Amino acid sequence: MRFERIGREPDYSRYMDLKEGWLDRRIFSDADIYEEELYRIFARSWLFVAHESQIPNSGDFLTTHMGEDAVIVARQPDGSIRVMLNSCPHRGNKVCFADAGNTRRFVCNYHGWAFDTAGDLKGMHEEYCYDAGDIDFKNHGLKNVAKVGNYKGLVFATFNSDAPSLEAWLGDFRWYLDMILDNEEGGTEFIGGCIKSVISANWKFGVENFIGDAYHAGWTHDSGTRSMNNGQPFPPIDMDNSYHASVNGHGWEFGTEGVGDLFLLGRPKVMDYYNKIRPKMAERLGEMRSKIFGSVASASIFPNVSFLPGISTFRQWQPKGPMQFELKTWVIVNKNMPDDIKEEVTKGVMQTFGPGGTFEMDDGENWENCTTVNRGVVTRHERLHYRCGIGRQIEHDTLPGIVYRGQYNDANQRGFYQRWLDMMTHDEFGKMPARPEPQLGNVGETRNLPGLFAL
Amino acid sequence: MTDTATLERTCEGTTASLELTHALTQTLYREARLLDDEHYKAWASMLAEDLHYHMPGIETRYRRDKTEQVTDLTRMAYYNDSKPEILKRLSRLETGTAWSEDPATRYTHIITNVEVELTEKADEFRVYSNFYAYRNRNERDEDSLIGNRIDIWRQVGNSFQLVKRRAILKHNVMLSKNLNIYV
Repeated sequence: MRFERIGREPDYSRYMDLKEGWLDRRIFSDADIYEEELYRIFARSWLFVAHESQIPNSGDFLTTHMGEDAVIVARQPDGSIRVMLNSCPHRGNKVCFADAGNTRRFVCNYHGWAFDTAGDLKGMHEEYCYDAGDIDFKNHGLKNVAKVGNYKGLVFATFNSDAPSLEAWLGDFRWYLDMILDNEEGGTEFIGGCIKSVISANWKFGVENFIGDAYHAGWTHDSGTRSMNNGQPFPPIDMDNSYHASVNGHGWEFGTEGVGDLFLLGRPKVMDYYNKIRPKMAERLGEMRSKIFGSVASASIFPNVSFLPGISTFRQWQPKGPMQFELKTWVIVNKNMPDDIKEEVTKGVMQTFGPGGTFEMDDGENWENCTTVNRGVVTRHERLHYRCGIGRQIEHDTLPGIVYRGQYNDANQRGFYQRWLDMMTHDEFGKMPARPEPQLGNVGETRNLPGLFAL
Repeated sequence: MTDTATLERTCEGTTASLELTHALTQTLYREARLLDDEHYKAWASMLAEDLHYHMPGIETRYRRDKTEQVTDLTRMAYYNDSKPEILKRLSRLETGTAWSEDPATRYTHIITNVEVELTEKADEFRVYSNFYAYRNRNERDEDSLIGNRIDIWRQVGNSFQLVKRRAILKHNVMLSKNLNIYV
C-alpha cells in the first residue's frame, strides 16, 4: 500500500544520534513530524487492536483507533476477526458509537446505510432512490484493514499490505511475550471494561517509559511503593543480573529475582499464586523465564502498547496530536486463575496503575511537562540525554535480542527510537534492517487457544 | 456487606425527616470541606470500618446492551476499595515523596441535590447527591469531575459514618491525567 506522503525521504537522522545517545526534543512536539508518524509508523505497523477475550462470540465488537483512524474490531460467524474503518463510505459518518457490544449490523445514523459485521454493505434507507449502476454494493462496504493477526490472544491489525507477518514483526520478542501470554495453561484474558484517560504529552513518552525506564521507578514512585508495601522502599536493583532486551523496537527490561513487580502490586495472595505455579511455569518456559516473570520489569511492543508482567496492567498509548495521548488501561490475567485471584489482580492494578493508582498519579505530570515545555523555541532545540549504560551491551547465551546488562539503562529506549528512525526513513519494509537478525527461529509458534480461532 | 442497606436507586423511597436530612446534608458538606483542605485523617475518621467505596469505569454502550457496568464489581473500576485500601492510597501522601502533589493541588468539592431516604435498617440512611469536584494545580492544570453519588451513611452516636459509596463519574474518557481526588 502506498501513501501519498511517502517518498519525501526527509532526513530524520538529524533528530538523533543513538550511538552517542541523544535525541532532539522536536520529535516530541513538532506537528509535521507527528503527521509523518501517523503515515509512516501508525499506518504501516502492526497495531494492537484487541484481546480476543474481549469479543468471544459471533457479533461481538469493540471500537478503537489505529493511529487516529477509528476502527471496529468484530468477531465473525466463522470465528475469525475483522477490523474495518468505523466510517461510512457514503458521507464518512461514524457507523458505530459504542465502545463495545454485540450486533448483526452497523447502521449509519445519517442515511441508514447498513453493514454486516464483516463490513459488507447490505442495504440502506429508501434503497429505491439509487438507479441501477449508481452503486456497487460489493465495493461500498466498510474498508477492511490489509491484515489481521493473532499472537496468543493479542489481536493486531495493519493497514499495510506489504507488512511482514505478525510473527516476523514480533520476531524473537515472542520469547519474552510468552512470559505474560503463555505462563500457564489456557492463556490469558482481559478483565471486562476499559479505563481511558487523557494525558497532555507525546505518545512516545509513555512507550519509552515502559520499554526501559526502570530508572525512574525508585524515584518517581517512591511514594507509591511505600504506600503499597507498609513503608518499604523500592526493591534493590541487581545491576549484574538484570537486563534490557530490544528486538525490532520492542523492548523488555527485567530483573531475574522473580518477585519485584509482584511485590509492588501489594497483593500477597497474587504473590502466593504465582509462587505456587512457578515450578510449572519453569517446565513450560524454562528456568530463566520463570525467574524473570514477576521481577521488576516493564515492556512495550512497538509502536504503542505496554504492559507490566506481574503487575498485569496492559495499556495502549493512542496518539491524539503531538502533545496529547489517550491512555487505555486494561487488566490482563491468566484465564485459569481462580476468580478471587483475578479480583485481587484487578484491584491491585487499579490501586497502583489506574488513574487513581498510587504509581500512575506521579507519571502523567512528568510526561506532560517533558512535552509542554518544548513550546519554547530555544528549549525545543536542546538535546535530551539517552546515554545511560551505552557501553554495557553483552552477548547472552539464553536471552535473545540486543541485550544490555543492568536494568537501569537507556538501551531499550535507544532501540525504540532506532526503529522509529528506521520506519520514518525507509519507504519499503524490505529495506529496513532487522535489529537484531532473528536468532531463535520458531519460538512461540502461534497456537489456537481452546475454543478460539486462528485468523 | 450484604447485611447493610443496599444502594438500589429507587424512584419512590421514604424521605427522611427535615432534621435528619439537615444533619446528613451538613455531614456531606463537612466531608467536602475536609477533602478540599486535604484533611485526609479527619476524612478517614468519617469512613466506617466496613466501607465499600466504588467508582466504576463506564463504557459507552447502546441502550439494548444490558451489560451491567455499574454494579458488577468484577469489572474495571477507578475505585473498588475497602477502608484499608483507601488508607493505603492515602498513605502515599504521607511519604513526603508524592512529587505530583507538591506544589499542592487546589480543590473545591461542590455537593448538591441532596436527598435522604430511610432504609430497611433503622440506623442506616440512603443519601443521594451530585458532585462537582474542581481541581486546579500548578499554572493552568484544570479539571472538572462531575457525577452522581449514592451513599449509605450509618448513625453512630451523634454523627454519621460512610458505609457505602457509589460515585458515577460521567466521563467515558476521563478528561484528566489522573484521579488524585476523592469525591
